[in-house]
Amino acid sequence: MTITLTINGAHRTLSIEPGERLLDLLRREGCMGVKIGCRAGDCGACAVLLNGRAVNSCLVFAVKADGGEVVTVEGLERDGRLHPVQQAFLDGGGIQCGYCTPGMVIGAVDLLSRNPDPTEDEIRKGLAGHLCRCTGYVKQIRAVRRAAAAMRGER
Amino acid sequence: MGIRDYLKPTNVEEAWAAFAERGRAAKPIGGGIDVLLYAAPETTTLVDLAGLGMSYVRGEDGLAVGATTTFTEIIESPLGREYLGGILIEVLERVASPLQRNVGTIGGTLGSAHPWSDVIPLLLVLAAEVSIYEGRQRVLPLAEYLATRAAGERPLITEVRLPTPPAVSACGFEKFNATGFDVAVLNCACFVALDSGRCKTVRIAVGGTPRLATRLTTVEDALTGASLDGATIDWIAAMAGETIDVRDDWRASAGYRRDLVRVGVSRSLQRIAEKLGGTG
Repeated sequence: MTITLTINGAHRTLSIEPGERLLDLLRREGCMGVKIGCRAGDCGACAVLLNGRAVNSCLVFAVKADGGEVVTVEGLERDGRLHPVQQAFLDGGGIQCGYCTPGMVIGAVDLLSRNPDPTEDEIRKGLAGHLCRCTGYVKQIRAVRRAAAAMRGER
Repeated sequence: MGIRDYLKPTNVEEAWAAFAERGRAAKPIGGGIDVLLYAAPETTTLVDLAGLGMSYVRGEDGLAVGATTTFTEIIESPLGREYLGGILIEVLERVASPLQRNVGTIGGTLGSAHPWSDVIPLLLVLAAEVSIYEGRQRVLPLAEYLATRAAGERPLITEVRLPTPPAVSACGFEKFNATGFDVAVLNCACFVALDSGRCKTVRIAVGGTPRLATRLTTVEDALTGASLDGATIDWIAAMAGETIDVRDDWRASAGYRRDLVRVGVSRSLQRIAEKLGGTG
């Protein structure tokens, strides 16, 4: 079957299998920032924005994106500038092996779009569903706070 | 999975016709999470309910929530936030992860009826009703829907209805899980409506025993007519722990679950007592 959608701003018409996962479609289309972790919704490595909301792309049928808008980590930068969340992760060392990072950045972008000034508790709850096996989450949480401040124009 | 077909009907009659024609090979999808994770090998057809206009939260003699409404949509809706002191938010924010709440629907959770569901005990104590379509539309109490489901029927869920709560009433919920967004080892919801300081209406439901949530009617009857003081809560919680039918599974032993029931009922009732200002 055929679906039409936008992936990172580009209009696409794609042939898919009805039972295919959005995760597999996106990787086939070259979005390798969408990581395969658990394929069960446990780790968050495959998170993308679907119509503005962060979802586990492993838990969504590709067909559900028909007519919709998908943004992966590759689509966050604007005019060669990283998204403030990406920049804050980079500046604050919120990355070790990097496998969880694209998904976690996407989760943080969704969180900050609804809550521009989250408390630490709200960030922890907002990023539940994103597992990082390297760190203790401290620097990621700090990065999200810095990104929030930057996006509010405070820095 | 051998999924070959995708249908997106535009009305319930059309959706129902697909199930009538294809039987168990056709699976309804709201968000589609459970079909992706657990669909039986005989599943060949996805019937997407997104075209049926069932994503809404309305205030109609309480609350009416369309079957394909996501948990996030309920959490973010003003009516959902207001209902019974914000209990829907309090509980739904502890269900799965934000990533999954952006996709998972209230209808899907009832359609799957997982024994660990946090939503089902909550809805049981809130006296929820379920609107279903199986050739005709009807509304039945959630417990009755669950019984028909257990008997093998698979009606199309169209709406969940929550009644307007009595004036002096509150709900408490407790969940025990291994990590922030893991499914519950056990969960517990209590609802109490007071009249002149005494419990007039009591509903207590426990899920993940490890079976599907059910009400503890004997314990409810024992609390009815009593005042919600500390000694009564202790006695009722002990009774719940002693009388409930719990089993071992790989998540927890029956003995541990029995302790969780006692603690869960106690905390839920204490929370209600706090919300109602001690004596109500």
